[in-house]
Amino acid sequence: MTIREAAEALRHRRFSAVELTTAALGRIERFNPVLNAFITVTAEQALNQARQTDADLAAGRDRGPLHGIPIAVKDLFYTRGIRTTAGSPIYRNLVPDYDAFAVSRLEAAGAVMLGKLNMHELAYGITSANPHFGAVRNPWNAKHSPGGSSGGSGAAVAAGMVYAALGTDTGGSIRIPASFCGTVGLKPTYGRVSRHGVVPLSWSLDHVGPLTRSVRDAALVLNAIAGHDPADGASSRHPTVDFVPDEGCSVRGLRIGFPESFFFERLDTDVELCVRGAIARTEALGAEIKPVKVPDMAAMNAAGRMILLCEASAMLEPHLADRSQFGPDVLALLDQGRLLPATDYIHAQRLRRQMQREFAQVWSSVDCLVTPATPNTAPRVGENTVKLGGHEEDVRLATTRLVRSMNLLGLPALSIPCGLSDIGLPVGLQIVGPPFEEALILRVGAAMEDGGVGIPPCPVA
Amino acid sequence: MKDWTLIAKAAGLDIPAKDVGRIAPSLNALDETFRPLVRNLTPEMEPALSFRADQERA
Repeated sequence: MTIREAAEALRHRRFSAVELTTAALGRIERFNPVLNAFITVTAEQALNQARQTDADLAAGRDRGPLHGIPIAVKDLFYTRGIRTTAGSPIYRNLVPDYDAFAVSRLEAAGAVMLGKLNMHELAYGITSANPHFGAVRNPWNAKHSPGGSSGGSGAAVAAGMVYAALGTDTGGSIRIPASFCGTVGLKPTYGRVSRHGVVPLSWSLDHVGPLTRSVRDAALVLNAIAGHDPADGASSRHPTVDFVPDEGCSVRGLRIGFPESFFFERLDTDVELCVRGAIARTEALGAEIKPVKVPDMAAMNAAGRMILLCEASAMLEPHLADRSQFGPDVLALLDQGRLLPATDYIHAQRLRRQMQREFAQVWSSVDCLVTPATPNTAPRVGENTVKLGGHEEDVRLATTRLVRSMNLLGLPALSIPCGLSDIGLPVGLQIVGPPFEEALILRVGAAMEDGGVGIPPCPVA
Repeated sequence: MKDWTLIAKAAGLDIPAKDVGRIAPSLNALDETFRPLVRNLTPEMEPALSFRADQERA
């Protein structure tokens, strides 16, 4: 069931928000011991909230489509009175006295918060094999990773524990778990959603966004959380719109760019088949699929990595006196960032401006781009390398290869499921648009979804 | 190839030698990709220090 379907049922009194919340808590109780998607479950608070939303609806106080809908947030969003760990012992005692901007927006929209989701330690990695809170497992196959860093968000949405989850994306951390768990994941434009009250990893690369079970559900969540926030220095004043695509929306006449070089190199065979199939389906739905040349994406990834390494190490340096607080993979990245000279950070930011300028030219010939989200499907838990196109690659670098550049450019990017591999793991497709064109990429995603691009529900959902 | 152990020592960083050895290949690989890009930067290309996604439109 999607948010839209649940919202309609709530208004027709087919069930109450309390019943919906109780069912979701039941699923958490049943599946969380295996999936480990939650760090904290706030059952009592959720039921109180659900009772209030039922009372509000009965009294005619309808706060919109998220009213009474069970959701959860990655455990790096500040939640008033609820521990916020960022998946790290550094924050073991952090109990914020205010809510993150996005959390307060969801609360104002009537969503029922079920708890805090497990994640890769400090959001600095893509496996969500958290050494302090345990590895998150993929609901499609518990031997596999859900991706990360918002791995708990992807797993909880795919397994039907919640209808939507908030994640953050610094180098693919919403789109990767969406791809591996078969959910929709949206990284909005940089500045579209406030980062206020979110534990930072990299100030100039961090983005906040939703993971959901349908494109229109992602748009509903974006409607609630988008908008200017003076408390976030990077928050944009760009006008917000209704992001929810119309029923019967179409891709007819849209020029969809197909960047074959780089984005279609060194792919898992199943990924390539599914994505090419989805693109062919989109063409059949009326889109003009145009081959397009893009700037040097490998160079963008190098600049993006440089910025991330430097900013993350600066952010976490005060805690590095006690190295035992970090898992080995995160510690290795933090050490790398400390060894890089300031000049390289400045150069990377100069390259970023140059690349942003070059990439803007792409939008003169196409309206959006479609690429695979990840070159691979979910690796097994603990797998450190992946073989793609005959090359053995580091699993983190391979998995972030097609998504990282969009953080450098700040562009909106949507991951939607587009097929299953031969062993039944989801494959994700990425739709990228010009700055602040979330409505466009959501429309393309919804039209593809309506047109048959997608996967069956997760077996445990 | 840079001597990352010396760099760590010169910067006064308390990174154990075995940990520096473990990260050296990643740093070298990044440096190898990054260095040629920097050579092509022109002086008027200023850093995007306060980054905005809509700063550069076609």
